[in-house]
Amino acid sequence: MKLRIILIVLSLLAFLSASTGGYLYYSSLKESALNEAERQADLRLRTIKKNLTIFLAENIKPVKTLAGMKTLQLALTRPDAQNLAAANATLDHFKKTLASDVCYLMDPDGITVASTNRDASDSFVGQNFAFRPYFKEAISGKSSTYLALGTTSAKRGAYYSHPVFAENGSSPVGVVVIKASIELIESQLGTELDEIVMVNDPHGVIFISNRKEWLYHLLWKYNENSIPSIKQSLQFGTGPWKWTGLVSKGGHIFDREGNVYQIHVAELGSNYPEWNVVHLRKLDAITQTVIEPLIKTTGPIVLALCVLIGIAVFFLYRQASHEIRQRRSAERALRQSEGRYRSLYHHTPAMLHSIDPKGRLVSVSDYWVELMGYSRDEVIGHKLTDFFAAESRQYAETTIFPQFFKSGICQDIPYRFVKKNGEKIDVLLSAIADRDIKGNIVRSLAVSIDVTQRNRAEAALKQAKEELSLYSQDLERLVRKQTEEITNILTYTPAVVYIKDKAGRYTLVNTRYEELFEVRNTEIRGKTDYDILPKPVAEQFRSSDAQVLKEARSLQVEERIQQSDGLHTYLAVKFPIYDESGAISGVCGILNDITAVKKAQTQLRRLSGSIMANQEKERSAIARELHDELGQVLTALRMDSVWMHERLKAKDPASAERAATMCRLIDKNIEDVRGMAFRLRPGVLDDLGLVDALEWYTADFERRTEIACVFEHENVPRLNETVSTAAYRIVQEALTNVVRHAGAGRVEVVLKTNNGLLTLAVFDDGQGFDALDLSESEGLGVAGMRERATLVGGSLEVQSKPKNGTRVYFKVPLDGQPGS
Amino acid sequence: MIKVLIADDHSIVRAGLRRIVEESGDMQVVSEADDGREAIQRVKETDPDVAVIDISMPGLDGLEVISQLQTLRPELPILVLTMHEEGQYVVRAIQAGAMGYLTKQSAPEQLVTAIRKIHEGQRYITEEAAESLALRVAKGSDGKSPLDSLSMRELQVLRRLAMGQTNREIASAYNISIKTVDTYRARLLKKLELRNNAELSRFAMQNHLIEP
Repeated sequence: MKLRIILIVLSLLAFLSASTGGYLYYSSLKESALNEAERQADLRLRTIKKNLTIFLAENIKPVKTLAGMKTLQLALTRPDAQNLAAANATLDHFKKTLASDVCYLMDPDGITVASTNRDASDSFVGQNFAFRPYFKEAISGKSSTYLALGTTSAKRGAYYSHPVFAENGSSPVGVVVIKASIELIESQLGTELDEIVMVNDPHGVIFISNRKEWLYHLLWKYNENSIPSIKQSLQFGTGPWKWTGLVSKGGHIFDREGNVYQIHVAELGSNYPEWNVVHLRKLDAITQTVIEPLIKTTGPIVLALCVLIGIAVFFLYRQASHEIRQRRSAERALRQSEGRYRSLYHHTPAMLHSIDPKGRLVSVSDYWVELMGYSRDEVIGHKLTDFFAAESRQYAETTIFPQFFKSGICQDIPYRFVKKNGEKIDVLLSAIADRDIKGNIVRSLAVSIDVTQRNRAEAALKQAKEELSLYSQDLERLVRKQTEEITNILTYTPAVVYIKDKAGRYTLVNTRYEELFEVRNTEIRGKTDYDILPKPVAEQFRSSDAQVLKEARSLQVEERIQQSDGLHTYLAVKFPIYDESGAISGVCGILNDITAVKKAQTQLRRLSGSIMANQEKERSAIARELHDELGQVLTALRMDSVWMHERLKAKDPASAERAATMCRLIDKNIEDVRGMAFRLRPGVLDDLGLVDALEWYTADFERRTEIACVFEHENVPRLNETVSTAAYRIVQEALTNVVRHAGAGRVEVVLKTNNGLLTLAVFDDGQGFDALDLSESEGLGVAGMRERATLVGGSLEVQSKPKNGTRVYFKVPLDGQPGS
Repeated sequence: MIKVLIADDHSIVRAGLRRIVEESGDMQVVSEADDGREAIQRVKETDPDVAVIDISMPGLDGLEVISQLQTLRPELPILVLTMHEEGQYVVRAIQAGAMGYLTKQSAPEQLVTAIRKIHEGQRYITEEAAESLALRVAKGSDGKSPLDSLSMRELQVLRRLAMGQTNREIASAYNISIKTVDTYRARLLKKLELRNNAELSRFAMQNHLIEP
């Protein structure tokens, strides 16, 4: 932990020194940048001053020249109109040439006699400027320069005056003045945005500046005392001369808004004693221009440096921590392994002990003392053999100890220990010797395994084995008995029985099988059907066996086998055989010869077919007889009775009525005969075919029962008589069932052929029934339909579920119809 | 005088028919035949104006006779006379080319009218026969029609409703109760997804069950 703190402190120090270095570098750069700014400002001030000086000196020589002009002298000495006009012309010429504001001429009393602005509203002509210092100086014979606000024009100007002398006179006769515009100079100062340039008089009044609102303001506050003298001089108008608000503090200037400026001051020059040029520059701007690029270039470097140091410190710190952790865990592992070893020795659930070369115990494990019932003090220092039973002690002292101290090893020595409570335990002792550097045995390390329980268990096992052997003998006897019984059954049953494994290899066949296929049980074991049976039989067997194995359930099939006396039919029951794990291990087949039964069945079917055919034939004949013969006779009788009725109507009404009654009777008879014939066998079926017959029958059914009956047919060709009859009778039976049982509201009869297969379907929407629940009479109805279907080589299927209607399907292939 | 041929295998029936025909006054039975072959032969010989043919005859049956006469004497009107009441026979006979159909039972009352009518070139079939014919024609001989899902009685009721008959009229025509007719009507509307009798009529017309 301490090491970690030291690391943190060190990394902090590194970081701190990097930061300090960065800061120092930054401030030294800043210092030098500020110095540079100071130097630049100084240079700038000097430039401005030079410009101003040059400008202000510009008109000194021209005024001297102007004063020497003859016209002016004449205007002063002989002030007539002509001379004044000449003087004005001269003045105009100079004004134009010098691009000055105004040029004018004053007489010795200071009254202006001629001026370039003589025509303007603020004309100087006639004005007295004797109070102006420049006038005073000039009239006393000296040229003069002066800066002031024009009292008449209210424009700032630089005034240049010079005395005008008469041709031979020594005292001035007047004064000439050139006034230059200060605005012009101001505009030429060319100052920059963030700097303020000001020119102020000895009182501190700002006369020229690039900051217009400060004009005629006092630069410093203390100068306010001098206001009366400023006012008196009329030099800067009428005031008020307010204070700019600038305060000097600690080498810098502060304005009212709190901006800080750098200040540089210089004197204007000898022509303007005590006038100063002041240069202010915003400190913010300086720092901005100087420091911003500095930060821009050095900032990222410092930041990157800091980040790099941070990363380096982080990785070093992690590395160090890792090292520390590893070292610590190694120490812990060492301590633990020592502890484990000690604890292992004492706490292992095994009897461990060590003896010295004299056979005395020097250490024992906890388990040893616990098992033996002693405390440690009672055993340490005692001879190991003191805890042995007598026979073991002798065996150890005479045989094992000498051997062990020679070889240094012994293994699985059977001893018997005696516990403190006198109980004896059997152990197997193994030991190795611990030697000193010279190779002498100093002690042993021994482990004793308690085998008392094991010895007892072995004894018990031996006894159990004997019992098991007896039991299995009984079992074998029982198995033998049962096997014998089953074998007898298999031998004497008339059925053919076999068992095969999953791959179809025989494992067992019975005697009947042996006789039938003339094989021996022992021969066919492990062989398949194909090895021993004719191919058709083998294929039959194999395919039904495979089905049993696949579906895992019993199966009943008929199988045909050619025997010496002809083809026999067997009813085979086949079922899967399971092994102990419940998996199918094979298949067992039991075959019964049903050839005789089959034959009888076929005969019966033929008989039943011929009975039915005959019945139909007879019915047909009777129906025809009834319908055609009896019906015709009755019709003829009816004609006669109608004839009689017509004849007797007028003469003998009673007889006529008799004839009418006869006619009604005959009608009734015709109906009955027709109905009888139709029920026996409808003529439509023979005359027009199945479709017309069913069309009629279903319509008649609907009329009789009021159960809606829809008949649909599709692609039905002309059918032979047997199929037509079967189909017709099946519909009849099915519809009869519908009336009797279904409680249906609707029946559909659909007849169609598809791919040579005639399908007749009768659906009802009635209550249906459970197909397993057919009562005997209903069953007979279905059986009759099925019989008819079978006889023409077709099939019949009845599908029904309670509350789900009933469907009867009759299907018969149209090719190869049996002719019976 | 209308010359009539009668073909029937029963002589007593033939005798009865002859009497009915001849008592009419303006008709004469010019020949009789007792099987199909003979009927054709007699037609060739006697050139009757009307042939009355029984469907069930030995040898050539009535339907076959009709189709042979159709090629032999296409203009000869044939009246089918039969013991059979089943509509299926009517349809077959008319399809084969017969102009009229009559059951022997109703011969005393209707035979003369029937012969006269077909002799004038009109059809003569009973109400029931006409109905059977209409329904058969509407359904078509084979193939799919929306009428296939209807039972015969449903078709009959539909046709009569479409023709504008009342429930009462329909009930008496089929000898069923008015309530049953109403049940059929409701079932028809539901099955055909129609709303009223007007729509039933339109449906019947579209499916050629009645003539527009």
